[in-house]
Amino acid sequence: MDKPASQIRSLRAEALAIGPADVLPWGEVRIPRPPALRLPVAGTGPTVIRVELGLPRPTVTSYRFTPPDPAVPSGDRRAEASIPAADAPPQPSAARRTRIAPPRDVVKLSEKFFYLLQPDLETMLHTGKLEFPRQPFPFQLDGMAFLMPRHSAVLADEMGLGKSMQAISSIRLLVRSGEARRVLVVCPKGLVSNWARELADWAPELVVAVIEGDQPRRRWQWSLEDVPVKLANYEVLVRDRDLVAELGLSFDLVVLDEAQRIKNRSSQTNQAVRSLDRRRSWALTGTPIENSADDLVGLFEFVAPGHLSDRMAPKAMGAAVGDHILRRTKDKVLKDMPPRLNRDERIELTAEQRETYRRAEEEGVLRLADMGREATIQHVFELVLRLKQICNFDTATGESAKLDCLHAELEEVQASGRKALVFSQWVETLGRLEGSLGRFGALQYHGGMSTTARDEAIRRFKHEKKHSVLLLSYGAGAVGLNLQFSQYVFLFDRWWNPAIEDQAINRAHRIGAVGAVTVTRFLSADTIEERIDEVLRKKRDLSETILSQAGEPVPSGLTAEDLFALFRLAPPQHRAAA
Amino acid sequence: MQQAEPGDGAVFGFLTAIESPQHGLFGGYLVVDALGRPLEFHCTAPVKVSRAQQILYGPTLHGHLHGQQIGGALLAESKASPAVVLTDHDAMLHVRPHTKLPVALVRPLDGGEAPAGFAVGAAQVIPHAGDAADDAALRERLTALAIAVDLREPFDRIRAAIEEAQRH
Repeated sequence: MDKPASQIRSLRAEALAIGPADVLPWGEVRIPRPPALRLPVAGTGPTVIRVELGLPRPTVTSYRFTPPDPAVPSGDRRAEASIPAADAPPQPSAARRTRIAPPRDVVKLSEKFFYLLQPDLETMLHTGKLEFPRQPFPFQLDGMAFLMPRHSAVLADEMGLGKSMQAISSIRLLVRSGEARRVLVVCPKGLVSNWARELADWAPELVVAVIEGDQPRRRWQWSLEDVPVKLANYEVLVRDRDLVAELGLSFDLVVLDEAQRIKNRSSQTNQAVRSLDRRRSWALTGTPIENSADDLVGLFEFVAPGHLSDRMAPKAMGAAVGDHILRRTKDKVLKDMPPRLNRDERIELTAEQRETYRRAEEEGVLRLADMGREATIQHVFELVLRLKQICNFDTATGESAKLDCLHAELEEVQASGRKALVFSQWVETLGRLEGSLGRFGALQYHGGMSTTARDEAIRRFKHEKKHSVLLLSYGAGAVGLNLQFSQYVFLFDRWWNPAIEDQAINRAHRIGAVGAVTVTRFLSADTIEERIDEVLRKKRDLSETILSQAGEPVPSGLTAEDLFALFRLAPPQHRAAA
Repeated sequence: MQQAEPGDGAVFGFLTAIESPQHGLFGGYLVVDALGRPLEFHCTAPVKVSRAQQILYGPTLHGHLHGQQIGGALLAESKASPAVVLTDHDAMLHVRPHTKLPVALVRPLDGGEAPAGFAVGAAQVIPHAGDAADDAALRERLTALAIAVDLREPFDRIRAAIEEAQRH
């Protein structure tokens, strides 16, 4: 059957494609679809590299500090308010900025930041409107920046550099900032009035309670709550140890002046200060090491209990205390301080003195030799004292070559309108000198006098021209007094330890000294005094050795061996061994 | 995070950045009271910029990095409302669009030709262009602060703290 013509016309184009075709019965031709060919015209697309343009936000660590809540009397809150520009003093100079660095034992970063982010000390003093009787020296600001952040600190500046002023100013700043509300200052009895005066000068806004009087009065004084600073002497503290515990007193800061007082760990004084409940412990001393490294261990039992042990080697000890001790010497920090001129006056005993001395020494040495192993350090010590006394005054005739020499020297001092200090280890010697030096208006100052009498002596010596000489005992006069208006110091006899002599000399040679200070050390020729001087001369540098970690320390005081050797005797244990 | 509003003049912000060749860029923001005492401190982890980012951001990199990324992140963390945010870093001025706080540049007063802004103590203060209208108020507040603190000094504290953080 033929396919109609209209159907044939409907052949689709693909039917015309090349290839074997099927002819269907009705005439339609079916041609198979050819395979499609894909030709790669576009090729492979490029690799896309994604560049991160959006910088991620950095992680932020935040610290917040509690705003200070100052505990100053209301009259002093002026600094807290906004200050009208017209009233404002000029800004502190940018030339020097004393920063408060965090102590090395601060571990937490937040605590380090607390110190690092504080304003510099000059700004603090400026903004706190803290007025001082005089502008502190830069090294004193460094001392304050050292003390303020530390809970355990020893300010060991050489005498005369203003340790008490640095401590008081630091206390003042801590009270201002609210970091301290209860402060206890402990000092030797003879220095209480001195401290009270210095506190009034350097921190006039701070109310101070001096703990003194009978027990009911002291109980009341200890209990006072709105008093930021309490001032007590060591003896009172020992006596009131139980009372302080009973009252449950705790202190934000305890400051010990002349802290070498606590070097003996077994002493009641050491135990009393260690028993105080306290957050911060500061010690002030010009002689942290008087005799041996043990002194420092005793001191640190208060400052940082357990920090030192007497088994530590000197260098290890030096490293351990390095961040807790600050020591400056005058020659390092006060380049323009008047010089100290030292003279050793070698004095020949008078003929009578020499004879008395010779007899006493011969008899004494013979007696020691006879005692053999029974001779003790006490026996030797007694002989030394007896010989030294003869060097001062002949016990038989009362003659004194030293007094003759002193007389001549004081003539010159008086003629030039200057003032002189004369030190002796014996109150009896001071009494004899006073009797002989009446024309120089000599006054005495020693521990046998009442505090009032001593204060009066200082006042008269300072203000009355007729008093050219002040006679002091090493015990009472070597510490804490400011006598920088004196240009002459005489050591009538020598103390056992050069550190104590230095303290005595520095009553005059200190900040505020108006001219050179001449120090005359009397030494009786060919006597025990010369021998002691020779021993001490070899031992002067112990403190510096440990504090500078510069090698093995040697004791600077006289040991038992030293004392026996003065008479060419071996100490008992050596003789026993021999 | 909610943006801080300008405060009443008792609190001031100091914003800066430190470049460390080893770690990258650190940002620090210190808020102090009228006596210069610290109230808040914020610091960033270091930000290191790749070479590609340097090229592609071109001259806009520093503004973006200091202003938006570091400055913005630091100010966002603060709860304080300072009267002004001071910076000693030009690029930090770019933080201004990202905060409601006035921002000003602090420069040492070198005695040369007076640039824009005004002198306060030993510093020249150049407010952000957008804050110029508030010059008088800003000047008064900063003069009060400068009685207590040299306006350049808190930046030293920030740098010391960031250096300590790097050692920690």
